[in-house]
Amino acid sequence: MEPIKIIMRSEYQYLTLTLALIFGAFVPFETAVAQNDVPDSLIFLDLQTKELNLTVGDRSKIEYKFVDDDGNEYDRDISFWMGVPGSTIGGVPTDKLTVDDQGNVEALAPGEYIVRAVTFYRSKNWNYTKINVAPLPVTTIVFNEGPDTYYANSSYVISATPMDRSGNSRADAPVIYTSSDNGIASVTKSGRLILKKKGTVQITASSEGVVTSKKISVKENPVASVELEASESSVRTGDVVHLNVSLKDKNGKTVTGVPVTYSFTGEAEEKEGTSGLGLIEQNGRFVANKPGFFTIVAKSGNISSEVYVEASPRNIHRSISVAGHGAIKVMMADFWVWEGVDGRDYAITGTHSANGEAYFWDVTDPSEMHIIDTVTVDARTVNDVKISADGTIGVLSREGASNRRNGIVIMDVRDPGDVKILSTFDDGLTGGVHNLFIYEDHIYATNNVKKYDIINIEDPTHPYRVSKFELSRPGHVVHDVWVEDGIAYSSNFGDGLAIVDVGSNNSELGDAGGSPENPVQLASFKFDKGWNHAAFPFKSKSTGDFYVVAGDEAFKVGLDPNQAVQPTGWIHFVKFNGWEKAEEVARYEVPEAGSHNMWVKDDVMYVGYYNGGLRVVDISGELMGNLYDQGREITNFTPVDPDAWTPNSTMTWGAMPYKNYIYISDANSGLWAFELGPDSNGTN
Amino acid sequence: MKFVKQTFIPLILLAIIITPKLIAQDYYAYVAAESEDEVHLVHFNANTQNLEIAETIHVGRYPTEIDGPHGITVSPDGKNWFVSIAHGNPYGYLAKYSTETNELISTAELGMFPASMEISEATGLLYVVNFNLHGDMVPSTVSVIDPESMIRIVDVDTGIMPHGSRLSTDGRRQYHVSMMTDELIEINAQTLEVSRRLKLGKDAQKMNHEGMDHSKMDHSAMSGPNGSMPMHKPVEKPTWADPHPTKPFVYVAGNGSNELLEISTKDWQITRRFTTGKAPYNLEVSPNGKLVVVSYKGEGATGVWDIESGKELAKIPNTRRVSHGVAITPDSKYAFITVEGVGGEPGSVDVIDLNTLKNVDHVDTGKQAGGIYFWKQVK
Repeated sequence: MEPIKIIMRSEYQYLTLTLALIFGAFVPFETAVAQNDVPDSLIFLDLQTKELNLTVGDRSKIEYKFVDDDGNEYDRDISFWMGVPGSTIGGVPTDKLTVDDQGNVEALAPGEYIVRAVTFYRSKNWNYTKINVAPLPVTTIVFNEGPDTYYANSSYVISATPMDRSGNSRADAPVIYTSSDNGIASVTKSGRLILKKKGTVQITASSEGVVTSKKISVKENPVASVELEASESSVRTGDVVHLNVSLKDKNGKTVTGVPVTYSFTGEAEEKEGTSGLGLIEQNGRFVANKPGFFTIVAKSGNISSEVYVEASPRNIHRSISVAGHGAIKVMMADFWVWEGVDGRDYAITGTHSANGEAYFWDVTDPSEMHIIDTVTVDARTVNDVKISADGTIGVLSREGASNRRNGIVIMDVRDPGDVKILSTFDDGLTGGVHNLFIYEDHIYATNNVKKYDIINIEDPTHPYRVSKFELSRPGHVVHDVWVEDGIAYSSNFGDGLAIVDVGSNNSELGDAGGSPENPVQLASFKFDKGWNHAAFPFKSKSTGDFYVVAGDEAFKVGLDPNQAVQPTGWIHFVKFNGWEKAEEVARYEVPEAGSHNMWVKDDVMYVGYYNGGLRVVDISGELMGNLYDQGREITNFTPVDPDAWTPNSTMTWGAMPYKNYIYISDANSGLWAFELGPDSNGTN
Repeated sequence: MKFVKQTFIPLILLAIIITPKLIAQDYYAYVAAESEDEVHLVHFNANTQNLEIAETIHVGRYPTEIDGPHGITVSPDGKNWFVSIAHGNPYGYLAKYSTETNELISTAELGMFPASMEISEATGLLYVVNFNLHGDMVPSTVSVIDPESMIRIVDVDTGIMPHGSRLSTDGRRQYHVSMMTDELIEINAQTLEVSRRLKLGKDAQKMNHEGMDHSKMDHSAMSGPNGSMPMHKPVEKPTWADPHPTKPFVYVAGNGSNELLEISTKDWQITRRFTTGKAPYNLEVSPNGKLVVVSYKGEGATGVWDIESGKELAKIPNTRRVSHGVAITPDSKYAFITVEGVGGEPGSVDVIDLNTLKNVDHVDTGKQAGGIYFWKQVK
């Protein structure tokens, strides 16, 4: 029989006890005195289990008690709540760890968890138990599939997967590879198998003490000759050279299935510490970054062959001069330049973190660009502005409206000096519109960074929503949308590119029967960093290849008041061979600067590269590697203005080629127009 | 005797002159400026009746976007302040700062447009509503965060556009409102479950939901597109709830119906309804339990209500449009009111003397001053 504990904290309780004994109410008394009459403020939680180290499948208990300062114990309510440090979702899924209100724990998946005990007793005595759940130990290791035949004087990558007793992969467990005869074959830590001569070896993979072996028979390498050809022997930097190799045995017969490796050495024209001379890929492509002489080697077994490529400077640099500049007294956002219905040239610019203004400029003579009208709406940011292809309708986005309804404002811009607001549309767009596009009587408006709405403006005084497009992943983001040839290209940070048929005219790549009323996704493409911010589709004039250039937006240190803003990120070139077959083939990355918005016209890319200013880049021909390294930059300009909103600081938002000029908006210094100097025609 | 007179009378006069300085009070509150990505520490000197910005802290992650600091609170021990970064990408987050250095300590991701919040003295947990102000009309959550480890331990399902998270004095019950379902909601601060819901509409009072087992009802038949519930057209559109410090009442701002509602937590029913200025938004019950101070968002004014009589003692114009937050000093002498402003205007903080019912000073802040929370009072 459990001893009956009597807890008394006052003379009143002794008196109560006495009375209780007299009236034979002893058992109920214990509960009354020990549990209820003691003020909660005198009781605290003694969480005895501070840490549990478990393995998947284990059960345990978090031990605790409620006590007072004298060590007397009480029963009180307690709740346990679990969390995962750094988790983006509240709580812990019940298939990972469970804990009930008695503190019973069951570990179901590896990880680190925090269990927070929640009680009401004695304020500020909450406490934690840290639970570390180790995975089940490795019980088997399985070699992954390799080639049918291994040849001497070659190298291969092998891999093996550790598994637990449940058959689940233990990819987190390191695997160590060894060879039974390093004279025949050795194996590196990463699993690179280096085959030295004919013979048989045991390759062993071990993990957490579990060992498995695989017998490999190494055959004599049959290659007796390597014939190597290069598509070009004299190129410009940035031109891609294709390598064609043919392997023959001693009888002159073609050999297949034997690995070939490509490498190069280079002698740069510049001798002062030049590095990164070129890039070679194991699929047989080479590009020279710097002018010089290159020896390209193809090797199979002990047999190799060389070809020689001379790379000349691309010589496409052009001078650039300022044709006009217009500053404003607040941060400038996106812009658009168009030919008005009167034949004159105009620009519209948005504003950021200001007074909800959009400025209309006459830029017919860029050297005299000036504001001819201002539209002010209830907003703090007019992030994006667009004009219809016929130059009659304008639209601006609203964020920070005082009534929090935001949405878009549609304008008659036939007279840019006297712009009239035709309508506003905020139904369902209260989250703010960050970016938008006009295409064939429809506005594509991003909505609360989660989707884009498609709004019919055939009658611009009565806009109405016809559909919306939204990704399915929880936490998805839509940042920007651009429409061309009936296809919408949205940029979605971690979700990458989403390509959607809204009435596709792209007969080469095919459509899915979509329309504005029925948007149908055609393709998607993700990027490792998750910084996808802008997209621009183009068909290369020189190669006929179809690309989507995708720009990052990112900042190295985020917002640190103690440091300068440090934009980073680059432009990705994604080549589509059909919507289902996409490959990222090249990048344009300016060191220590960050990409933003871009435009492509006639195989030239114009980029607003934030602190890197305006960049004009030759993207003709096949693309490979980092175009920045290859002398493809035609020109650049980093605008500053001592009298600007942010003096003497460059933060170029976007760029747009228009007629004979290049226009940019710079967040800090306003609207600029540039002229390129004479075309050098480049190296032939 | 003459010596005594000559010596002490001047001293007494001097004491009278300097007494106000001796009893001077310094009050500090944190204020979030949503469209400036700034948090201000404001300081009010009751002696000089001067309000000033003591420090400005830049918050957020994106140098080129507005991250939107919205709700703000201070830990019960005064050592940390917390701000909800609302605009999100798409989710917002909670940021924890030191009151000593005003430097960022850590963050925890929250839901869509996290807004108002408070910490329970009983559980030590922080309860923040995911207002989802700019999203679809779908039910949202209250995220419960352990503010020490900044681990998000649970999301409690609640109503559509929940707002106005405040704890009872004993820290055992959290109250907030569901703006688009016209409800006051109570959460048990320990079990982290919704314990009670109260429909705030005049008609709904006739229909007591207590005791109904909603799990056995087929609500799916009432669902609109995307699982939303369009059949309810909100009327009261409540935006704030604050429990009385000592009595069993909660006060609610009826933003849509221009009402101040008094709800008995004992009987769980509305006991009084008061017609207010236009669009009451935030409110706070004075620590002495006598007044309710209500911001009238729709008319740029603040109402001061006497709880006992149910009378509006004064309606005080604010310094600019779009009144937002309310914080009352622990001695119940002053109310600090944030005012958002419109467009490129700065925001502001007004200080109202709750004895004279006058606006005694104001200070400009970053754009769209919103969340405000009292930090400390120094004698």
